[in-house]
Amino acid sequence: MIAYNKTWLANLLLQNEVKQDLQNGCITDAEFKAIAAKYPVGFYTPNLFVRVGLFILTCVIISFSNGLLTLLLASTDLIETPAWFLVLGIFSYAALEFMVNSNHHYRSGVDDALLFISACLFATGFAILFYHNKAGMYYLPLTGMIFLLNLYFTIRFADVLMATVSCIALLAFVFFGWTRIIPGGLTTVPFIMMLASAGLYWLSFSYNKKVPFIHYQNCLIIAQVISLATLYAAGNYYIIQTLSDELNGGRASSSIPFGTVFWVWTIGLPLVYVGFGVKRKDTILLRTGLLLIAAAVVTFRAYYHILPVDIMLVIAGAVILGIAYGVMKYLKTPKHGFTYAETNDPNLMDHLKIESLLVAETFSTAPSAPADIGVKFGGGDFGGGGSSSNF
Amino acid sequence: MTDPLYNTLHAEGLLSDDSYEKVKQRKQNPLFSVHWELKTLLYLGVLLLTTGLGILVYENIDTIGHQFVLLFIALVCAGSFAYCFKNKLPFHAEKVKSPNTAFDYILLLGCISFITFVGYLQFEYQVFGLNYGLATLIPMLVLFFSAYYFDHLGILNMAIANLAIWMGVSVTPKQLLLHSDFNSETILYTYLLLGILLLIGAYATQHFGFKKHFKFSYQHYGVHVTFISLLAGYFHYYDSIISAVFMLGVFLLAYLVYQDSLKNKSFYFLLLVVIYAYIAISSLVVRMMIQVGDIGSFYLLSMYFIGSAIGLIFLLINLNKKLKAA
Repeated sequence: MIAYNKTWLANLLLQNEVKQDLQNGCITDAEFKAIAAKYPVGFYTPNLFVRVGLFILTCVIISFSNGLLTLLLASTDLIETPAWFLVLGIFSYAALEFMVNSNHHYRSGVDDALLFISACLFATGFAILFYHNKAGMYYLPLTGMIFLLNLYFTIRFADVLMATVSCIALLAFVFFGWTRIIPGGLTTVPFIMMLASAGLYWLSFSYNKKVPFIHYQNCLIIAQVISLATLYAAGNYYIIQTLSDELNGGRASSSIPFGTVFWVWTIGLPLVYVGFGVKRKDTILLRTGLLLIAAAVVTFRAYYHILPVDIMLVIAGAVILGIAYGVMKYLKTPKHGFTYAETNDPNLMDHLKIESLLVAETFSTAPSAPADIGVKFGGGDFGGGGSSSNF
Repeated sequence: MTDPLYNTLHAEGLLSDDSYEKVKQRKQNPLFSVHWELKTLLYLGVLLLTTGLGILVYENIDTIGHQFVLLFIALVCAGSFAYCFKNKLPFHAEKVKSPNTAFDYILLLGCISFITFVGYLQFEYQVFGLNYGLATLIPMLVLFFSAYYFDHLGILNMAIANLAIWMGVSVTPKQLLLHSDFNSETILYTYLLLGILLLIGAYATQHFGFKKHFKFSYQHYGVHVTFISLLAGYFHYYDSIISAVFMLGVFLLAYLVYQDSLKNKSFYFLLLVVIYAYIAISSLVVRMMIQVGDIGSFYLLSMYFIGSAIGLIFLLINLNKKLKAA
């Protein structure tokens, strides 16, 4: 089971919970200090910048160590077999266990890097291994193996990235299994994928609240996001049509069976997500739904060119601004437990002022601007992610 | 998780009755904040609207005419700025909160439409003639003014990017525009100067206590631009003795930023110093090893990277402790 010290993990959760109360002004500083002293956390967890630095450095160390080892053994046959990657993977894994068990690294960058590298090495090893046995079944055992491997890593280290990969590998395994083994599986595979992702969502959603899984909350959240996305993708009209074209041997078909069903799915499901997200106050459903609305619009536009793209953009921009303005007006005083005020958790993003960098990235254009090297120099370091920074 | 937890804490005497009641109340009516979603929507809305208008104008320039387009853009710009002047809070040298969430985005819309307006004028009527420096200087000044006057960090970042463009344009306008030929030495020194200017700006911001929260942006761009131009200079003059000067520059800057980040407890700049200094030192070591140039030196090089990276890990961990203790 989980590699980290369980008492400390529990204490960490407790401290985070109480810290929120501190920031909301519910408890005093002295009380927080007393609680932190009573429930200590012994992990080595530096801040994000140190974590990034340690991650990079660990990657440097491991890659040069692996290179050196390979060079030393260059004359033997061992390094030409896929087993060599597995051996290197075992080394990294051993280092990881050591760092976690005796040096108590927890999300320090060192353990992240070692976990990442050993997973990559194992995956490469398996990929080469299965590639060598050319029985026409390549993806099926590979995805299965990667799923098991990453599931183990997820259980052992509760890592979000590993959870992501293992979810995707599992769904890919189901997909390849169904299409390769069942005759004519391609026609029924959308429904199987819907079932599989709905099952995955249900599992991760219901286990997220249970106490024994409390350390896996982030992993289960990621599992929810992925399963919601694949549940949508499994019924998306564009994806279905691409698949059925492949079934017909590359000929583009004009219509697909159950076309109406898939159109309803494509347009309706994001709205269902948003609706349930608002009703149950579930951030995951709400945000995934909002993102998928964009996907639905893009899909629709791929088939029906009702309006030219510029008018579409203007209308979309105006509608979005209008909706945002309306919601803000409506929530001027909090209603039904909703507010548009910021929550009090000072988010790490605020320190980096990501939003301002993002604005500079996307909007910085100037008349007759030939050399915007300055933008390239500084802007691209923290792409992605938004923030709630108040300017 | 929640209620039994606080009951225990209360029973253990770690929470006073007063705090316990407060926590209980907060847990009873939790507020669900859609702040983040709304901000994203606003950002997306402005982005889509401006892009759409841009394409619309571009497509229909033949039918609607330039004057109309210019008028429209000017109206959007004037409207946004009028709103901002009307609703802004009084100017102060410290941080001023924006009066409402929409304010920032309306200001952003105003600034972007102003840039578009100037660019359009220049492109269509050559108002500034071949004087490209002036054409980029005016938007830059307006951006800097708006950033300070309305206290908007995003606009400041745009202004800094415009400063870079203005400097790039005014140094070598003809070569760049006519031949699109980058005279690398001129570019190098220009951006070195830009980086140093930004760093001075960061220092001055803090020293005079004028809009202190703008320091991060100046320093962020300044540190990256200066380090990269110094390193670029080192590689540009690789075989000449001048490269030593650039190398010394890297270490001097590293020392200065190091001192500053210790003073301000900034892990981010500390990490940048470590990474850039490491690149500099490693390039020196690699240079040495290449001169030896046999298989033995490759082994040595690998060992160097392993050893130095382990050393740096301990360095980072210790610096982290030092900053926390300071």
